[in-house]
Amino acid sequence: MTQTRRDFIKKAAALSAASYVSMNLPIDKINLARADEGVVWHRGSCRLCGVGCRVELGVKDGVPMGLRGVAESRTNFGYVCMKGTYFWKCMRHPDRLTKPLYRAKKSDAFKEISWDKALDIAADQFARAHKAGGGDAVAYYGSGQSLTEETYLFQKIMRGGLQSNNVEGNPRLCMASAAAGYLSSFGADEPIGGYADFEKAHCFFIIGSNTAEAHPVLFRRIMRRKLDNPNTVKVINIDPRISQTSRIADMHLQFMPGTDLALLNAMANVIMEEKLYDAEFVKNYATFRKGEAEQTTLEDFKAQVAKYTPEMAAKVCGGTFKADDIRTIARWFAKSKGTVSLWTMGLNQRKRGVWANNLVHNLHIITGQLVKDGADSLSLTGQPNACGGVREGGGLCHILPGHRPVENEKLRRQVEAAWGVPEGRIPAAPGLHTMAMFSAINEGKIKAIWINCTSPAQSLPNCTLYNKGMDRDDVFIVCTDIFPTLTTQKANLVLPASFHFEKTGVYGCTERRSQLTRKAIDSPGEARAEVWIVREWARRLAEKMNDPVIAQCIKPFEGLTEGYELPKAIWDEYTQKLTAGRDNDLRGATYAVLEKMADGVQWPAPTEEFALTGGTVKKFVKGRDPMATTESRNDLPYQFYGAAHPDRTLWIWLREQADPEEMPDAEYPFYLSTGRIIDHWHTMSMTGRIPELLRANPYAYVEVNPKDADRLGIKPGDMVEIKSRRGVNLLPAKVYAGPVEGMVFVYWHDQHPDRMINKVTKDGIDPGSKEPEFKICAVQVKRASDPKPLEPYIV
Amino acid sequence: MPISGVVIASLPSETNDVLRFLATLSQVEVHGADEKGNIVAVLETESSDEMEKIIDRISRDQNVLHVGLTYLNAEDEAERIIQGEEPARPFGFRKPSGTT
Ligand code: SF4
Repeated sequence: MTQTRRDFIKKAAALSAASYVSMNLPIDKINLARADEGVVWHRGSCRLCGVGCRVELGVKDGVPMGLRGVAESRTNFGYVCMKGTYFWKCMRHPDRLTKPLYRAKKSDAFKEISWDKALDIAADQFARAHKAGGGDAVAYYGSGQSLTEETYLFQKIMRGGLQSNNVEGNPRLCMASAAAGYLSSFGADEPIGGYADFEKAHCFFIIGSNTAEAHPVLFRRIMRRKLDNPNTVKVINIDPRISQTSRIADMHLQFMPGTDLALLNAMANVIMEEKLYDAEFVKNYATFRKGEAEQTTLEDFKAQVAKYTPEMAAKVCGGTFKADDIRTIARWFAKSKGTVSLWTMGLNQRKRGVWANNLVHNLHIITGQLVKDGADSLSLTGQPNACGGVREGGGLCHILPGHRPVENEKLRRQVEAAWGVPEGRIPAAPGLHTMAMFSAINEGKIKAIWINCTSPAQSLPNCTLYNKGMDRDDVFIVCTDIFPTLTTQKANLVLPASFHFEKTGVYGCTERRSQLTRKAIDSPGEARAEVWIVREWARRLAEKMNDPVIAQCIKPFEGLTEGYELPKAIWDEYTQKLTAGRDNDLRGATYAVLEKMADGVQWPAPTEEFALTGGTVKKFVKGRDPMATTESRNDLPYQFYGAAHPDRTLWIWLREQADPEEMPDAEYPFYLSTGRIIDHWHTMSMTGRIPELLRANPYAYVEVNPKDADRLGIKPGDMVEIKSRRGVNLLPAKVYAGPVEGMVFVYWHDQHPDRMINKVTKDGIDPGSKEPEFKICAVQVKRASDPKPLEPYIV
Repeated sequence: MPISGVVIASLPSETNDVLRFLATLSQVEVHGADEKGNIVAVLETESSDEMEKIIDRISRDQNVLHVGLTYLNAEDEAERIIQGEEPARPFGFRKPSGTT
């Protein structure tokens, strides 16, 4: 690069950063144009987490070369995190899968084969499995990282074609409790507000979320709000572990894992006791529920939470803070002009994850900290399209597209009619949820499974047990992915997929926002878009099974080109036919509109005209949410029309403190919790391949509280054995006052067999959401040796 | 030589300390600071690896609350890729077992 070009780029970089904070620099804007010579910037959303940052990918001579934000973006105000900045490096990475690979037996070596042969084999194997055991013998396991068009088409072939509701995805492992929490508290899935509330909030209640590392760009917005209003904005952080997020907190309460239900009930108690609740809001919009959904009374609720005095809760939580601290945060929460709660896996990945979600929603309902600007109960999503594709597009075993429960006959009929398949084609019973699906694989009941864009071999809890099933030679596994993973190592057929910006499609992030990313560059080698792969597979399946209904499922998509026409036709079918009149009405968010709307559209957006305003910022509010008007039943300003609550009220739940499935005991005396670190994502198949990110954190370590380390004779860097009833890890120690005494913490990205923490975690599930309790189990902690040199490991 | 644009956030009371610290880093060019504690800077390094390290180093300063990236240009590396050079692989890399 010449010196002058470098100067242009440096000036462009300075102007870019300055524009974010409205700083005027004495630099001529001509430098921007000169820096952009030969570079085309393609708009899209980031691929690497659920925040949904709007980004622009720079491409020069067909090769991606950089990334930039756009200051006016509504999601990220243009900021991107390190992880996001580097995702484009995956695109031309030498490890990319570029050819279909096949082996008949799992002990054989993979051989490169043609697409024609690969698709024939996939069709043969699914046809054979179906013949042997019908819809029960086949399964699809997808991802919150797949585009909506992909999830939708996969599930259509599975349900309408193969008559199987065995459609699941990794959001079961992270978001299922949040979805069930929203449905049971508000009557409808997904948040009422969104990020726009941050700039109007006066209190942030962050529980079970290390926002600073897991959602860094959102954390910046919270931090900015706090710094700009240091005296009027409060930040409360509730977590067993002190993290980067705690840095801006006015109050951090550390509790023993699994005791937060008592804490949340105690906050409700203070609010009721001190009459800080919004009696008018409760009277107009809420009812009280207990057990399965039996209606009860305000008095009952008061009596229930009265048991949770702050003194009692402080004791249950481990005695690490004072009872008065609970009173203080309950007052901040209730009295602020607007309170936003934020949480992620700390509440969701729990035996009682749905209850934990209910109890946070309770606080918002009783105080009326909802539906107004600056107030919301906002579950942060981990993946870019867990909400859009999986929760909305029909990617779980119990829901059809458009938030339709499978067991509802009328709704099944609507889907069958939209697809033009015979009535009764979609089975009436939900399929197997994730843990049941992999148990059925262990038992050999599922004979063929398609795993798309995810790595359950590493991400399932107690993974050694489920890897045994995936190793079986009578279970045929197809994987579509961009890189080799621990799961592609269990496959018979590995199909190379296109990456983000190499194909076209929609992601729907945390705040009901759908954003389109168009194809900007070609895929390497023979990698293809999943929508093409599924269509070609389904056509062969129809021929081999001699089933015209399967052919009918792909008929609207025949002959369309993979880069744009095909995903567009799939999106059109899904939005126009299957979201019409549903709470996630996306009819207005056509590709044409999404191309115009740089920040996408928030549903409900029933018409193009409304979608062109950006869609619904606040659900349920007349005048702001078009459905609140069309669904209105009275003169009240808020209309809670969610289909899960026929009485159209918000439900305040009576829920008790409940212990995790496994508690520490004399034999396994420590709590183990798991989570993320800023530079890495999930199973590290992408971020572990980016040297800059890998070197920052080359391998997992275990965080040990200094007091525990002292007792156990563990010094920084020592090798430590973490053992549960299920498995063992050997990890270097980080002695650090992060985790509360009595608890150790390990991040879960590492693929090395000695450091893969899901060998240790427990596979107990929430009975409501079926989400596993990754966050809590009991372990032994033992010093094994002095520090040892370690190597990072990526398959 | 990657070049990035960043907004470094600090507490307003600590901004001068952060500026003094940034002045010691040769890869950092400060373009301005405001009363809210925002510092606009350009980072220029020899490699992406060094870019990661310098951002990490700035983030770890006790007075720095957040380093917000807004722009990254790594076209030198991209040009090398066009010319056939493979980007650096992480150490410990190996092909999936069973791949021919
Ligand atoms: S916060 Fe998430 S969406 Fe935003 S740039 Fe980082 S990884 Fe991407």
